[in-house]
Amino acid sequence: MKKTLTTLAAAAALMVGGGAQAEVLRMAYSSAPRSVDPYPFGGATTAGYKEHIYEALVGHDDQPLLSTGWTWNSPTSLTVHLREGVSFHNGEPFTARDVVYSACRMMFKIDDKRNLLTSSMGPLTDVVAEGDHAVRFETKNPYPLWIQKMKFLSILSASGGDVPDGPITYDATGDCGITAYPTRDDFENGDAAIGTGPFKHVSFAKEFAVMERNDDYWGEASKWEGVEISSVSNSGARFAGLLAGDYDLIENPTNEDITALDGDDDFDFSGKPAWRTMFVVLDVNAEGAPGVTAADGSAPLANAKVRHAMSLAINRDAITDRLFGGNATPANQYAPSYRAGAPEMPALEYDADKAKALLAEAGYPDGFTLQFNAPSDRYPNGTRVAQALAQYWSRIGITVELNTQPWSVFAKARRAREMGAFFYGWGHPQGPAQMISFAFATRDKDLGLGSSNYSNYSSEAFDAAIKAWAVETDAAKADEHVGNAMRAAMADMPGIPVYYTHSLWAHRADLTVDGRQDERTSAFMVSYK
Amino acid sequence: MLSFVLRRLGQSGVLVLIMSILVFVGMYVVSDPVAVLASDDFTEEDRIALASELGVDRPLMVQYFSFLSNMVRGDFGTSFVYNKPVLPLIVERLPATLEVAFLAIGIGLCVGVPLGIYSGLNRKRKSTKTISFLTTVGYSIPNFWQALLLILVFAVWLKVLPASGRGDTTMLFGIELSFFNVDGLRHMLLPAINLAIYKICMQTRLARSGTQEVMFQDYMTFARAKGIPRPRLIRRHLLRNIMIPIVTITGLELGGLIAFSTVTETVFSWPGIGKLLLDSIHHADRPVVVAYLILIVMMFVVINFVVDVLYALLDPRIRYT
Repeated sequence: MKKTLTTLAAAAALMVGGGAQAEVLRMAYSSAPRSVDPYPFGGATTAGYKEHIYEALVGHDDQPLLSTGWTWNSPTSLTVHLREGVSFHNGEPFTARDVVYSACRMMFKIDDKRNLLTSSMGPLTDVVAEGDHAVRFETKNPYPLWIQKMKFLSILSASGGDVPDGPITYDATGDCGITAYPTRDDFENGDAAIGTGPFKHVSFAKEFAVMERNDDYWGEASKWEGVEISSVSNSGARFAGLLAGDYDLIENPTNEDITALDGDDDFDFSGKPAWRTMFVVLDVNAEGAPGVTAADGSAPLANAKVRHAMSLAINRDAITDRLFGGNATPANQYAPSYRAGAPEMPALEYDADKAKALLAEAGYPDGFTLQFNAPSDRYPNGTRVAQALAQYWSRIGITVELNTQPWSVFAKARRAREMGAFFYGWGHPQGPAQMISFAFATRDKDLGLGSSNYSNYSSEAFDAAIKAWAVETDAAKADEHVGNAMRAAMADMPGIPVYYTHSLWAHRADLTVDGRQDERTSAFMVSYK
Repeated sequence: MLSFVLRRLGQSGVLVLIMSILVFVGMYVVSDPVAVLASDDFTEEDRIALASELGVDRPLMVQYFSFLSNMVRGDFGTSFVYNKPVLPLIVERLPATLEVAFLAIGIGLCVGVPLGIYSGLNRKRKSTKTISFLTTVGYSIPNFWQALLLILVFAVWLKVLPASGRGDTTMLFGIELSFFNVDGLRHMLLPAINLAIYKICMQTRLARSGTQEVMFQDYMTFARAKGIPRPRLIRRHLLRNIMIPIVTITGLELGGLIAFSTVTETVFSWPGIGKLLLDSIHHADRPVVVAYLILIVMMFVVINFVVDVLYALLDPRIRYT
């Protein structure tokens, strides 16, 4: 009987597609995951790869993943209740001890170098196991953002040979009484690459990763037997690889690629609005900004009217329609308007005449000179958008000198604060207030605010709202503070939001892609039609 | 011969030193590893701490001399991006690059030299004009575009070869090689052809002009008059005499292929050192870039040396004292 069934199934498979459907998903990323070890590196690519193998207490959608919920004991103490019945790839059960171990590992400096994700740990002071299925996190200051930050704490199994038996005591150096942590090689050869995720590590060498399904996964097991991830940084080659049948799915196809797929029966594309705001950072320093000069020697960007005029001059719909073929959303605030918790805001107006009048009213009827900087190799279509922005501003009388440069050079100039106006993209994996708290708040070491305030912006109303948000553990109240902060910043416009990017995937036409907003590409979002 | 070798070594040492200064200072001026590595949610304190852990907060001179003293001891430092020692990082990618480079050079020689000799011997034929036209085209096509064209034709339209990646490899003496593996060879073919097209054109032209020159030499006329059969004439008298420029150029081109096949490796996602270099420049990974270029200088020195020795073998008149 069993044999008959198998034969029937095989015959059916043959009849359907002329052959069984491939069960290994081959994906091409646009850049290479940097490590199997989950902690040293962040970034969407590395995160997208490693979430196949490891999971965190909180999932990408801000919902509990390896936890079932949490309770605030006080604004500086949070107890997270762990999911029961979860086991690691090596069969060991998942308990609170593994969470403490993982926190230690995150803090530990290998070869005296910090894990780049350590900054996510914020003002964390203690991690305590409360029995097997609850963990208490203690922070120096109220730190509600920890809920979001827990996404970065991938949970590893504390069952390696160098972990002493018994409870682990957390300390900020990550030493925690552990004799030795696994090395980079241990992760790459798979010995230490043990998580709870739906896929198991098979190999990872020179930018090519292979994984197989975890049949004992606690949730719904994947329909894919395995996943292969290649990285092809050249967009033309990536697209050609898809057409040649080397890959089933590629990320970040260009607009030209998508146009080329028009009317193609074998391939299709999918998109999803992503959590990234593309905006122009303006240095509002009253003493002047680098590269910005006015005939009368004043500081034009310090004047809010000038900044609003520059915003009015931009036709956002034209940019998203013409340069992105509709695969971008016009921005109306600093966080994507569709990010959970973002306030309702009106659309930003486009009116070149009004912009000119406003510029004249601000005292610059003949405009001023502005050096506008943009990275040339960072954002899809970035250079073209920068050119379009420069043209819009030229139309209202501003003399714009566009300066595009490679990211590594651009990043240095940005950090050295050598740019008075620049084009930038900010992702929002940690909620709608994350960016404005870094980019527009007056610096506050204790609350971790304002560390990327390249606008040199400082506003009492904004600071009050963002400080209230930073310590508010009640989600509804926190959203209210975010709204207040967002409205205060938008009124002053220390940066000009332009558009929100969309994540795009090109893939075989018999696949559906249920994309995500966090710019990651994973096998979980891909299935057969 | 010994003094020649010693002199060469001395020169190379100076060259490596100059190169290290140029690259080190260049990378220092242009990019800031902390700005590239640190994400936006780093606090300023985190950034400062990271700079000190990477050692990039020290003055340029201090950084350079600590790099230099480590290098003398054979330690090229640790990659900022991969957090791995630089030397193994480069060495583990070297076989992939070498394989393609040798295959490309091989194709270049095996196709180019016969074509060139044929054109040189049959100057008036139509086929010679066609060859000459094709070499001009092959010379002028940008490598990058040609690579995409190859992918389009062979991978997308004909679907006979894979578009990118390295495919299966075979382990030999602990080194991963594609040569002894059908899938590996298939993956290797397009990148190798992409690199080889330019080489074929160059070898054809070199061999043709050499042939034309040598064929009218008195000794060739004499050899012909003596009744030496044509195959022997070509093999013994022609080929040997046109080989000197071909060997020189091949040597230098091999170096160039190993060091700077970045475009081809990037387009074909071939995991060799060229791609590593490009990625490292992107990420401001100074230790990798500096070590890479120093190793390349050393490699060119060695290749030039080998070429010089080959001269002496090919042309008995050349002696090094």
